[in-house]
Amino acid sequence: MEEGVSRSASAGAAPASVATVRAAAGAGWGRSEAVQGFIWIAPAFLYLAFFIAYPFVMSIYLSLSSARVGSPDSHFVGLLNYTRLFQDPVFWQTVRNSFVFTIGSELIRLLIGLPLAFALNRSFKGKRIVQGIILIPFVIPIALSSLAWKWMFDSLYSVINWMLMHAHIIDYPWQWLGEPGLAMWSVIIMNVWRGFPFSAVILLAGLTAVPQEVIEAAKIDGAGPLRRFHYVVVPIVRPILLVGLLYSVVFSFTDFSAVWLLTQGGPYNTTHVFGTYAYNIGINAGDLGMGAAITLFIFPFLALIVIFMLRFLRRE
Amino acid sequence: MDARRLWRRIKHNYGPYLPLSPYLFIVLFPFYWMVITAFKRDRDLYNLDTAPFWFKEAPTLDHIKLLWYGTLFPTWLENSLMIGVLVVFITLLLALPAAYALARMRFPGAQPLSTAMFLSYLIPSTLLFIPLSQVVRGLGFIDSVWALVIVYPSFTLPFCTWLLMGFVRTVPREIEESAQIDGCTRFQAFRMIIIPVIVPGIITAGIFAFTLTYQEFIYALTFISASANKTISYGVTSDLIRGDVFYWGSLMSGALIGAIPVAIVYAFSLDHFIHGLTAGALK
Repeated sequence: MEEGVSRSASAGAAPASVATVRAAAGAGWGRSEAVQGFIWIAPAFLYLAFFIAYPFVMSIYLSLSSARVGSPDSHFVGLLNYTRLFQDPVFWQTVRNSFVFTIGSELIRLLIGLPLAFALNRSFKGKRIVQGIILIPFVIPIALSSLAWKWMFDSLYSVINWMLMHAHIIDYPWQWLGEPGLAMWSVIIMNVWRGFPFSAVILLAGLTAVPQEVIEAAKIDGAGPLRRFHYVVVPIVRPILLVGLLYSVVFSFTDFSAVWLLTQGGPYNTTHVFGTYAYNIGINAGDLGMGAAITLFIFPFLALIVIFMLRFLRRE
Repeated sequence: MDARRLWRRIKHNYGPYLPLSPYLFIVLFPFYWMVITAFKRDRDLYNLDTAPFWFKEAPTLDHIKLLWYGTLFPTWLENSLMIGVLVVFITLLLALPAAYALARMRFPGAQPLSTAMFLSYLIPSTLLFIPLSQVVRGLGFIDSVWALVIVYPSFTLPFCTWLLMGFVRTVPREIEESAQIDGCTRFQAFRMIIIPVIVPGIITAGIFAFTLTYQEFIYALTFISASANKTISYGVTSDLIRGDVFYWGSLMSGALIGAIPVAIVYAFSLDHFIHGLTAGALK
């Protein structure tokens, strides 16, 4: 390899000879790139075609059929599953819940992630360790950490209630997972806990991308911290922040495990999101067609985000 | 010493840590609570009279014993680790050539294909678990760990390919060209020049594939039913809840021990991890 590196210097000095040698050598390089390119990516794309594209098309078919788990006779029923869905009040509740869950989680993540990013955006002893600890909720499987939250939200032995009652903030034990309005908050709290480290790291990456000189220049020009943030930091950070935010939105909107493990969509369907309701109907109740129809409602929303994202990236 | 000087001194010594302390508390408290619960005796656990934050009675290993000998926990751990390793291997095997081709070769359709790769990362498992359960059934893998081994690369592959493309682009073309002059085939150049240079990228991709796989829940829940085929995430959350009875001590032990493998991988690769996390959003 060392020999190769030393030769590359001479090759760079005489580009004409490189071209002739390249043409002479052939050896499956430039000439057949069109064919070779396809061969190199074929395994990955065949795999994705079979495990992403094909199931996606299949779910469209399923949603138009009467397919059920373990039942061989399934036939085309047109839009029946969709019309049934539109008449289902739980479905509309699910749609509303999904938006409340996503918007609530993302707003709070940003609100508590931003000060954290600022706090991390300076050098101090042990910064690496602190950063490592902060990211733990994002790394540990949510199925496992959700158990801790379920226990902390327990109806009888909730440690959160113990603390709040002894601090005289509440005067009776709250049913975190049992009361309709409160259950959604509990799910959001856990989702924020799991995701704010990601928001903070993305924001931090954005902040470090702002050159210190630009900030200094704005300072000299007499801009206060708020104006500096608004006119200098935000425009530079915006693209990074937006992409990070969109990822985060997609993951919240399509979440299954956080909600399923805490409430399974209850109480009275007040925490059902697309994923959990589709699981209940499609797998638990065995109605594959209806389940597929529910999951497909994620798609238009997803498509909007993707279009927005691609447009934005292209413009930047 | 008056209050202002004291405050100035605190600010000087602990300034950066003060705003961080509430965050550290919020992040760490659930884990502290897991540890305490995992080792508390039942009578102590369900005693509401005194502050619950420390042991009133001697700690016990009963919950861990129940977890280890009373459930299939060791099997779940084994399943999760085996699936993780195999998925990392499959992912890299498919992602490396794809990343190289998309980053380096010029061929018709390269641009739309790399966009498609990026977009397939955004197709969530929530959208695919119902049809995939049928695909897996059709392949005869339903209720088998192999179902998970073949399906999991569908979410690791797009991300890892995307990540590796960034790394391949950082390798100067001249190095490859000199290999070409030396008579290497493209595959030889890829194997002997590109691969060794992008080892950090390969490690990052492997770490991500492993943690994403280890965290996965909905596919495991949908495809698996026999206890012996469950993964950690699914097994711990299902088999220690019997009817209305939650074995909280054992549940917390399972969550703790189950988290150890990812915690180890994570601790040894913090920089790679943060790099990958931000690279995913920045590139």
